Amino acid sequence: MSRVRLYLSNDTSSCAAGAERLAEAWRQRSDVELVRTSSRGAFFLEPMVERDSSDGRLAWCHATADDLPKILAGDGGIPVSSIPFLSKQTRHAFATFGVTEPLSLEAYRAYGGCAGFRKARQMSPSAIIEEIKTSRLRGRGGAAFPVWKKWEVAATTAADRKYVVANADEGDAGTYCDRMVMEGDPFRLIEGLLICARAIGAEAGYIYCRQEYPVAAACLRAAIRAASEAGWLESDGQPFPIEVVSGAGAGSYVCGEETALLESLEGRRGVVRARPPHPAQSGLYGRPTIVSNVLTFATIPNILARGGAWHASMGTEGSRGTAVLQLGGRVKQPGLIEVPFGLTLRQVLDQFGQGMADGARLKAVQVGGPLGSLFTDAQLDIPICFDAFAKADAILGHGGIVVFDNETDMLELSRHLMAFVADESCGKCVPCRIGSLRAREILETVQRGQATEADLSLLTELGDTMKAASLCGLGARAPYPVLSALEHFPVEFRNRMRS
Amino acid sequence: METFLPNALDDLLIRARPAQGAPPNILRVLHAVHDLCGYIDPRAIPAIAHSQGATEANVAGVLSYYPSLNTQPAGRHRIQVCLGESCLANRCVRVVEAIQSKLGIELGQTTPDGQFTLEPVSCVGNCAVSPGVRIDGELNGRVRPSDVAGLLDRYR
Ligand SMILES: Cc1cc2nc3c(=O)[nH]c(=O)nc-3n(C[C@H](O)[C@H](O)[C@H](O)COP(=O)(O)O)c2cc1C
Ligand code: SF4
Repeated sequence: MSRVRLYLSNDTSSCAAGAERLAEAWRQRSDVELVRTSSRGAFFLEPMVERDSSDGRLAWCHATADDLPKILAGDGGIPVSSIPFLSKQTRHAFATFGVTEPLSLEAYRAYGGCAGFRKARQMSPSAIIEEIKTSRLRGRGGAAFPVWKKWEVAATTAADRKYVVANADEGDAGTYCDRMVMEGDPFRLIEGLLICARAIGAEAGYIYCRQEYPVAAACLRAAIRAASEAGWLESDGQPFPIEVVSGAGAGSYVCGEETALLESLEGRRGVVRARPPHPAQSGLYGRPTIVSNVLTFATIPNILARGGAWHASMGTEGSRGTAVLQLGGRVKQPGLIEVPFGLTLRQVLDQFGQGMADGARLKAVQVGGPLGSLFTDAQLDIPICFDAFAKADAILGHGGIVVFDNETDMLELSRHLMAFVADESCGKCVPCRIGSLRAREILETVQRGQATEADLSLLTELGDTMKAASLCGLGARAPYPVLSALEHFPVEFRNRMRS
Repeated sequence: METFLPNALDDLLIRARPAQGAPPNILRVLHAVHDLCGYIDPRAIPAIAHSQGATEANVAGVLSYYPSLNTQPAGRHRIQVCLGESCLANRCVRVVEAIQSKLGIELGQTTPDGQFTLEPVSCVGNCAVSPGVRIDGELNGRVRPSDVAGLLDRYR
């Protein structure tokens, strides 16, 4: 009997949405050849089954095990190319998602993988850095620092050893693109690390992966093994070992901050280090170290393969390339969106999110994780780029967008976010350590109906101190969501004051 | 001290000694012990310190810093409910309440029969199919309060 090849995503979220149940039901069948791919990121359609056709891939969305006869007969599938959520995107870092098997090096190569590293091997380190400079790539982990500057510092700092570290802590609630890269296209991250290693002359790499991502860590380890067997893990003729350090952060958010991450990697308490020196000068074990976000590394191979000018031709003046956004919360169509920088937040919510989930009305949108500012409906026309967000005292962070509906209690959300910071504060500096605790207590006092106007003034004052005097972004950004909630939804706070 | 250390832990700590010239790594050993035993018995701190050439205070300091390094054994099944922003927006609090009332425990507690431990997590990266509940490594998405009973029954 001939088998029909069906494609089904193996991504953690696809499985959580039901893909794994389908795989279990169909694995033993003699008429099905099941290929487990990465996810396209259109999670609102998952579980989604695909098969080949003369129109390219056809998809059956929200599939159940009972749909199999229909799928085998070819009835009712829609061309993937006709799904607006996907066709309206500009996929570069995520171009092969949903298409390839994550651990097939062959497929990775067939779709253009390794081309960037091949080019880099023909180039001098300074020429690689020059190419990155031309690309105008800024880090995707949150701070949006120009990538080439860090590389140049690390490359020109003399040392007996240098390191490359991928920050795979992805702590911002509402973000999942790093997880998707590690599970769905691990070779791209490895290739990015190899290119960076060559540019700065590093001798070893680490991937610091959070413990909430066990599948990602397993995929990375398998990919590293495959790359090593293929003779691919080398830099400058020397073997280049990459170690996956999984779960070291043990649930600590601040361990995603690069200096705390390095402390944790060295086996100590993940406490933030004062800067300077920056890790590019003195990082892991005091050696020059590039710590960069997973998505940043995953963006590098295409830049080398297609040229820095190609990357710089997309996006806005200060934000070149594509923005990888992760839409979640109460929208109709949550999922991964890759588009050139410059679309407005409203356009993203309308065109891709397709508005609110049934019956829900928009109340606030948080962009950039738990430290990101809240936007109201009236503020959604802000273009998605680093500079516009900086001007609005907001952050794009790692691209997480969470939409809250009219039922959301903004006071409780504020308390939740401040309690999170109080829990996660590394304790190194007073404004954050004490400030977050006091701010949480004040919000709890408001909740109990015992607060006065003086308490709210103190909250604002505390926030200003934290913004100005904290050592790292955790304390410095913590007040923003809370103060923006107080500013936009004052009634929800004042209604609960002591009269 | 040796008397209460199970052999496997003994072996682990011997193997964990840093090689000549290599730096110690307390956190790495703590994780290895946690993986082996499911938690870290504070009575093992002196032995861990010894294996890394560190002080006991050092080891205790690292141990207390990381939220999910447990110093007590957890239940047979580990339920992690995601409290990330997308899950909050999608009413994970109601899911938490359903689990709490079904099991009769609060977040951070273990059922008296030792079957379930209920833990909050700040985000599992499942935001597009939230709310998420992970049980023994298996992640469930779009969980509604009415799903809770059926989910938990699979682990009884
Ligand atoms: C509290 C805090 C948490 C952070 N968490 C992460 C994280 O989970 N992942 C990440 O890539 N960067 C995180 N960062 C940013 C890093 O410190 C660092 O800027 C980033 O890894 C640099 O990579 P990039 O240049 O590629 O953006 C965090 C920063 C702070 C202040
Ligand atoms: S702001 Fe908070 S997390 Fe950052 S260094 Fe200070 S205490 Fe630590």
